[in-house]
Amino acid sequence: MSVTIDVPALLRAESGGASALSVSAPTVRAALEQLERSHPPLYRSICDETGAVRRHVGVFVNTAHVRDLDGLDTRLQPGDVITILPAVSGG
Amino acid sequence: MPDRVLLTIGTKKGLFVAESPTARRRFALRGPFGPGVAVYSTLTDTRRGVRIYASSCNAYFGMKVLISTDRGKSFKETKSAPAFPKDDGRALINIWSLVPGDDAKDLWCGVEPASLFRSADGGDSWEMVPGISNHEHARKWQPGNGGLCMHTIVRDGDRVHLGISTGGHYLSEDGGKTFTASNKGIGAGFVPDPYPEFGQCVHKIARHKDAPARLYIQNHGGWPDRPGIGVLRSDDHGKSWRSIAKGLPSDFGFPILVHPDDPDTVYVMPLEGMTRTCPGGAPAVWRSENGGDSWTRLAKGLPKKESWFTVQRDAMDIDECKVPALYFGTTTGQLWMGREGGEKWECLFDALPPIHNVKVAVV
Repeated sequence: MSVTIDVPALLRAESGGASALSVSAPTVRAALEQLERSHPPLYRSICDETGAVRRHVGVFVNTAHVRDLDGLDTRLQPGDVITILPAVSGG
Repeated sequence: MPDRVLLTIGTKKGLFVAESPTARRRFALRGPFGPGVAVYSTLTDTRRGVRIYASSCNAYFGMKVLISTDRGKSFKETKSAPAFPKDDGRALINIWSLVPGDDAKDLWCGVEPASLFRSADGGDSWEMVPGISNHEHARKWQPGNGGLCMHTIVRDGDRVHLGISTGGHYLSEDGGKTFTASNKGIGAGFVPDPYPEFGQCVHKIARHKDAPARLYIQNHGGWPDRPGIGVLRSDDHGKSWRSIAKGLPSDFGFPILVHPDDPDTVYVMPLEGMTRTCPGGAPAVWRSENGGDSWTRLAKGLPKKESWFTVQRDAMDIDECKVPALYFGTTTGQLWMGREGGEKWECLFDALPPIHNVKVAVV
């Protein structure tokens, strides 16, 4: 099923300038695995070497954070939008 | 003929480069590069032209290695940064040290969690060095306040010295294939055994290129019950160590340097052990000209009071001009230069972001 990954402006250098990418994946994890193959630098900015989403990166399906759903195993429906955002943190 | 002094200044909010003729009357500042992102390691590599490398440790999106081929006027990312193998289970947190390797493109890199990487192509690809990264002790090392970092790489032919906080000093005598904990005489104040086999909180290691058997360590001192373990010297390639802290106001500190022309001249920046700030609010660099047998306070031009900053482990360096100058950066964002080997201090920049790293090269 086809879903959209929204790429934040801060990471568009890693997506070739694209603000959105279309992937076909049944779960968030599968969508990120597709990114690992198609856009390795973008994937590496979102996930560390262990495959975990970086501590200060938020991954949302539509308007819900995946931590409030089923994490990376959250299932996707056609037309869903995965949004990647930097967390509210810093100093 | 080298005629310019290049300072690389890694801060909490990016990298700055300051450049001056060797008279060092005025430094022009450029940056920040990689703005907003912490820089803990820099290297000016002069093996094939001038290349400046810097780590860029983005808390959001991961680690990068920056490179400049125009003396720090512009930077771009190398093709990749060090990364653990996928099945390793560890993830890169920070890059703490970058040093030149054997041939013109060979780079060595110490990271957090404490591991060693090498690049054979000038930083575009990296491989983990298993002899230390998968050492039998590696999963037993514990993070200090700065994290579990491999902050020092000292190379001397087939001998490689590594400083790990908290892991201690590790020595390879086969070019980095295998490593042995070599901590005889290096104390620890935070475990019951005062002289453990490994696990010491070594802060920095220094060596003079013409005296490879002589090494100096700034260790984590400042322990009332275990005095004198903070500043140490080895005369046998790091096989054993002895205290040279007598005469210092505190044996706690982070950086340690050796004069480029004299292996007997060594510099430290003592800090109060509990607060990690300048003793009495009055900063001073201390110099020994006899390998640590006695020490002299160098503070002319530095504030006499009300200065409570920290100087971090890589935030002090010395140039290789005819009459060398020292430089240190503070956690309050000042960059100081000490002319004539630290005899006369002046503030070059007084409102940078908190400074993690200061390195100097004459190019």
